[in-house]
Amino acid sequence: MSYLLFKDASGDSWVRTNMKHKMNGNQMLALTGLRGRLLKAHWLTTSGDIAEESLQWEGPGFPSLSRFLPEAAWDEREIHDLFGYVPDGHPELRPLVRTPRWPKTFFPLQDDADSHPHWRDVEPDNPSRIVEGDGVTVMKVGPTHAGIIESGHFVFSIMGENILHLDAHLFQNHRGMEKVLETRLLGQVPALVSRICGADSVSHQFNFVSAVEQLAGRRAPEAVQWDRILLLESERILSHLNDLAQIPAGVGFQVANQRGLAMKEKWQRGLAAIFGHRFLFDTLDFDREILCDKDGLRTLVRSLEQSWSQWRRLVDHHRGFHDRMQGVGVVRQSDAERLGAAGVAARASGLGFDARTLMPLYQGIEVEPARADGGDVEARFQIRLQEVESSVRILKIALDQVSVTSSNSFWQPPCDLSGDVVSYSESPHGLNAHMIRFEDGRIQRYHVRSGAFRNWPVLALAVAGNAVADFPLINKSFELCYSCSDR
Amino acid sequence: MRQFMRSLQLRHVDAGSCNACEQELSALLSKEYDIQQYGIDFVASPRHADALLVTGPVTDTMKTALAKVWEAVPRPRRLVAIGDCAAGCGVCQDAYASHGGVASSLESPDLIIRGCPPTPEHILNQLRRLQWKDGNPNI
Ligand code: SF4
Repeated sequence: MSYLLFKDASGDSWVRTNMKHKMNGNQMLALTGLRGRLLKAHWLTTSGDIAEESLQWEGPGFPSLSRFLPEAAWDEREIHDLFGYVPDGHPELRPLVRTPRWPKTFFPLQDDADSHPHWRDVEPDNPSRIVEGDGVTVMKVGPTHAGIIESGHFVFSIMGENILHLDAHLFQNHRGMEKVLETRLLGQVPALVSRICGADSVSHQFNFVSAVEQLAGRRAPEAVQWDRILLLESERILSHLNDLAQIPAGVGFQVANQRGLAMKEKWQRGLAAIFGHRFLFDTLDFDREILCDKDGLRTLVRSLEQSWSQWRRLVDHHRGFHDRMQGVGVVRQSDAERLGAAGVAARASGLGFDARTLMPLYQGIEVEPARADGGDVEARFQIRLQEVESSVRILKIALDQVSVTSSNSFWQPPCDLSGDVVSYSESPHGLNAHMIRFEDGRIQRYHVRSGAFRNWPVLALAVAGNAVADFPLINKSFELCYSCSDR
Repeated sequence: MRQFMRSLQLRHVDAGSCNACEQELSALLSKEYDIQQYGIDFVASPRHADALLVTGPVTDTMKTALAKVWEAVPRPRRLVAIGDCAAGCGVCQDAYASHGGVASSLESPDLIIRGCPPTPEHILNQLRRLQWKDGNPNI
């Protein structure tokens, strides 16, 4: 590109270098705001290296990437809300996390921010983006719902039966987790990251532990590594079983829903008996000696395989079920790529990326990314089916390995750990990255960019053009956690 | 026969949970726990509810919505905090956007079900206690 995008040459090169990463097929791990007008972008290259770009500037604004890299649009809006930094040239700069209740000068991630601001006594709703015109109806749903689900506010513009546009107002569940993590000692972090999200807990725990180890230059003993694989794959199965059971519920296929939930419950009870927690909270640390009852896990896997094959027959042979899923909620491959879709949603649109193929942890195991290309509800269902089966295969390999390796190591991170580090893993909901700044053994900044955060804009696009009545089905096929993106 | 006279209709509001508490509530509807056999069920509107179940530490953005739902529950009514976050002793208690649980943001709950998350079994047992407690709104 020969044209100059910004007046200032450093801004120009910031945009160019980041675009170049995208064009080279690299995955954006995180775009992180830091105190002192500093931004860092981390990219995972196709060969598994992590590249870092940074930008420091004077004055209120920095050059926005969003016009060129739409996948950074939410990140920049979040940075604007939490730091007050202004992305110049952002195509849609409106509040993402902030609500009218926030004091105007409250920027929680700045140094001088109040720990408990004086909230303004107004409604929390931000203005919505709607389609105007003859015959267009606006339908608002949430933030509270008529079922047991997380809170989110959705504004649909509809014409007849069909959705023209969905404006998703999320971040109702924004607790301020990144700030809670700041100033913590390393020992206090695992309990917190375990609870960023109930569905991707192990992935978050892994990211923290792996970040600390990277910075300290430690390589965990092999036995501990196999143990981590057991945990990550057990979590993937748990989460996929849940999501696979929910999709049939979206079309009234109750038998498949109930039997799926029964498989999930059995799996969860097994995990609780083996690892000590139904959602695997607080299970992964630096030296978790293989406490787990390996025979117990083997038996659990065998029993899952039995009920799984019956359940698969049930769902595979129900033609009406597949008819209902096909062609619904389609995400085109080009859109998935442009918006930086992650995980199941990306693979269902033909993007064959799975971070496990690059994670050093999985280097001893062959992981083939699951494949489908319809981009619809059916494709997302099929990807999860494939992934449960491949996770079962990986669990068996890891179980064979743990029986031949054992470790009695005890390792504690150095108490003066300092520096910036980025870690990532493939969570059940896609590429999940943490960017952490340590200072003298404490957290100075903790940024989490989860798979769900990347996929919400993709979901909004997928529902446009579909019948309103199909929204629950499409939503379930993504099954994005709110807590992971709201934090 | 008395058992058939008492039903308990619940409305749930997530006020900033990590979603594990929700998953355990959903599990109550599966055939393993089958909460409906005890005359307890989840309803779609607060107007049909006897009790409100709250999960999460009550984030600022959910505070107003939660108060509105609570206001819409007909009297007599019961307020239940599910999980450590809602009980006011969770991990993000002091976060800037958290109001520190149900008691400090709305009013004292009639029942607190601790756990992170509480198991479905525990939730079920506690809810059945509420069903049979003196002054039960449904008698
Ligand atoms: S109590 Fe625990 S499980 Fe429940 S929402 Fe809070 S952190 Fe999640």
